[in-house]
Amino acid sequence: MPDSRRQARAGTGFRLPQRPAGPINRGSKSFAGCAVDVIAAPSPISRLAALVFLLLALLAGWPGAQAQVLPTAAPFAAQRANLAAYTGKTDDLERQMRANAESDGRLAEIRNQLDALSREILASSVALRPRISEINTRLDQIGPPPGEGQPAEPEALARERAALQQEKAEINALIGEAEALSIRIGALTEQVAQMRRDLFASQLWRRYDISSALNAGVVADFAREAQAVYNRFSSWLSFAVRYKLSSVALAGFFALLAATVLMVGGRRAFGRLLEADPDVADPSYLTRLSVAFWSTLLPSLALAVLFAATYFFLGYFNVLRPDIAQILGSLFNVIATVYFINRLARAAFSPRLPGWRLVPVDTPGAWKLYYLVSATSIVTGADFVLTRVNSVMGSPLSLTIAKTLVATVIVGILIVLIGSVKPLRDADGRARHWPAMLRYPLVALGLATIAAAVLGYIGLARFISQQIVVTGAILATMYLGHLSAQALARLGAFRQSTLGRGLEGRFKVDAGMEDQIGLALAIVIHIVVLAIGLPLILLQWGFQWGDITTWALGIAREIRVGSISFSLVGIVTGIVVFLIGYFLTRWFQSWLDGSVLTRGRVDVGVRNSIRTVVGYSGVAVAALVGVSAAGISLSSLALIAGGLSLGIGFGLQNIVQNFVSGLILLAERPFKVGDWIVAGGTSGIVKKISVRATQIETFQRQMVILPNSELINASVGNWTHRNRLARTEVRVTAAYGADARAVQALLLELARAHPTVLKNPEPFAALVDISNVGLEFELRVFLADVYDSGTVQNDLRFAMLEAFAREGIAISYAARQIYQAGPEADGKAPPAAPARETPRS
Amino acid sequence: MNRLGTATLALMAATGGASAASAVNLDKEPRTIVVTEGGTRSEITIGAGESIQFCPSGCFVTMPNGDRAALTEADVLEISDGGGRVR
Repeated sequence: MPDSRRQARAGTGFRLPQRPAGPINRGSKSFAGCAVDVIAAPSPISRLAALVFLLLALLAGWPGAQAQVLPTAAPFAAQRANLAAYTGKTDDLERQMRANAESDGRLAEIRNQLDALSREILASSVALRPRISEINTRLDQIGPPPGEGQPAEPEALARERAALQQEKAEINALIGEAEALSIRIGALTEQVAQMRRDLFASQLWRRYDISSALNAGVVADFAREAQAVYNRFSSWLSFAVRYKLSSVALAGFFALLAATVLMVGGRRAFGRLLEADPDVADPSYLTRLSVAFWSTLLPSLALAVLFAATYFFLGYFNVLRPDIAQILGSLFNVIATVYFINRLARAAFSPRLPGWRLVPVDTPGAWKLYYLVSATSIVTGADFVLTRVNSVMGSPLSLTIAKTLVATVIVGILIVLIGSVKPLRDADGRARHWPAMLRYPLVALGLATIAAAVLGYIGLARFISQQIVVTGAILATMYLGHLSAQALARLGAFRQSTLGRGLEGRFKVDAGMEDQIGLALAIVIHIVVLAIGLPLILLQWGFQWGDITTWALGIAREIRVGSISFSLVGIVTGIVVFLIGYFLTRWFQSWLDGSVLTRGRVDVGVRNSIRTVVGYSGVAVAALVGVSAAGISLSSLALIAGGLSLGIGFGLQNIVQNFVSGLILLAERPFKVGDWIVAGGTSGIVKKISVRATQIETFQRQMVILPNSELINASVGNWTHRNRLARTEVRVTAAYGADARAVQALLLELARAHPTVLKNPEPFAALVDISNVGLEFELRVFLADVYDSGTVQNDLRFAMLEAFAREGIAISYAARQIYQAGPEADGKAPPAAPARETPRS
Repeated sequence: MNRLGTATLALMAATGGASAASAVNLDKEPRTIVVTEGGTRSEITIGAGESIQFCPSGCFVTMPNGDRAALTEADVLEISDGGGRVR
């Protein structure tokens, strides 16, 4: 079920993971490989070992490969002897280099030996360090020679000083020689690299006469060769059976045992995961991936173990002849690799079970790709084996050329076919080619291989076909890794996997966290894929492992653009330091608040202020430390800041004003969280004081956000600043004719009768106005809690109404006569209102 | 924030192994040391009080006063009074 949204970018669609083919191994191949001299074919098993080593080195950290074994502090004489030995070795290696100018394998070995020698020289110089520091310490103890006019020192001391300085000079001279030798080795290494490059180029572009390979004589040669191989094998076999039958049987037995144990054990452990279940219609990508992984790995591993054990035991019991051993070894390698590729292609393309496919191609395309990929691997493998046979048997050149010609032409054709497959479906259901960016290079390279082979540039053809196959395999694997990381990062995918469910059950991790973990794992997988895939490709292309690590470290450490340099490592370090500082601040804040301030019985507002200030200062410090840890010099930042400060200053005027006001509010605390304040006409309860603004909630439950500068620059009324004591007033107007003193007494009685009204300060009833409306009284009462004022006013007014009604005191009000213009008015002006207002009692 | 944190911690793993020798100049004035690394000779000037990282795979160092030393990846070179001490 190809997802039409996803572009299929599966490259050639198969992978050869164990081929970090490159000059790091002994007896490694040359890129042309078909010259007359004997160049051994690559051996995938040693490459597998190299790959495992690679992974371990990666996991252990970059400099893991450097095993610095310091020799014990040998005396000066021993190091001098060592240096003489190293010099001799260097001379020897130089001679070998000149002698072996034609052999890429030997040159690679020489380069490795030069590297090792350089490390040994360094180590022997390091071994002199203890003696140097002893000398230096003693010289410091003795002190400098006395100056003019000062008492002379004992002669023994002067002699000792002279002796020590002499010794130090000798050691320095020795280290100087070691340094010079190391420089010489560096030059030799460079020379070796240059020679290899020249060799490679000459072999690549060497043109052979293929007509010599295309005549009838070749067939006769081939027949003769085949007969010779058959003879060798049969003679060996008869020898083995006659004299070493028991050993052979034993070897076979052990090998079978090892393989069987692996298969059975694996089946027990991973049983469910070894076969794609045809009944499951739509398994998740992760399930498909794990089944693909185990169903490929386990049988291939078993086969590899079988072959390796057979080879090992046959060698152990001395059954093998050197030439047979080489041929058999390469045969085993190739069969194991081809089997592995076949199983992997079967799992990835899954032609029979579309639901289990790993790459988004349709079924006919899957079948074609599966067969093409298997065919390519078989042809390439056969090519390797036959190359080894050729070199062991010392075949004539014409045969070698013919074999390479046939092999590269076939591989070229297969690559062209792979590129022309139509594996995708577009929206209408029609079959589509690969995306153009993939298809055209593939087809072009295939054609180039065929053309090069046919024109006689056999070395070039072989090189291209090999590179396509191996690099394509590595890229396809990386693509699979990318797909699986994508599948993991999808929302909810990690939760459904076994690992996710396990985490959820055991550690009670919630859904959001699981998604984060899934995303983090996806990023990790991407990084691992890149970290393994890129070096492999580079190694395959002939770079040395040492070069790659140096280059990678250099990139990580410092990237220089013009005169500005920044460092990836530094930036990551800076970010990490900042995050640590940030979380530390948060923790410190909550600890301070929870433990220290609670115990001190400090009130909530103060705690809030302290907490906020601690938070801001902590984050600022963390940011500064992070920036300096990142290696960004603050002086350059200051330059930029100075230039922009004017504009920023004007623009951020208000913000900065608010910020500073916020700090002043926190320090001075004219109000705190929970107070009832009146500011700018808004009255409400303070909910939060933050950097820029303060949030007030009105009684209508509206949140009003006031900028801090307003609260500082204008006046703010705080009902609950020191305490909640408040005075509240109720007005009432009694009509003329009432007894004013009686009214006053009545009001006071009402106030005293109310339970909430305070007795101290006393309530007070005042006759505030004798107006044209009536006698205006104002009852002033004090309350313990300002929030009660509404209720108390309400109660007092009701009480007044009832009391006045009971006592027969009239409440006066100003009256109005309202005239309205009616329908009978027909345009005339309304009648004039009476000239006076009559107060009614 | 969590996403950033987890992503960064993952990145950290990749940069964990970047170690190199370092030198710190304890004098009041800049000092120049001659470093021979892998066959190439170069001069590095360290300012007063500064410390630098160099030489990720071992090298030979010549101090301002002519003393020589060989450094490995994890060594720290202290320069004082024109001479150096390796820790």
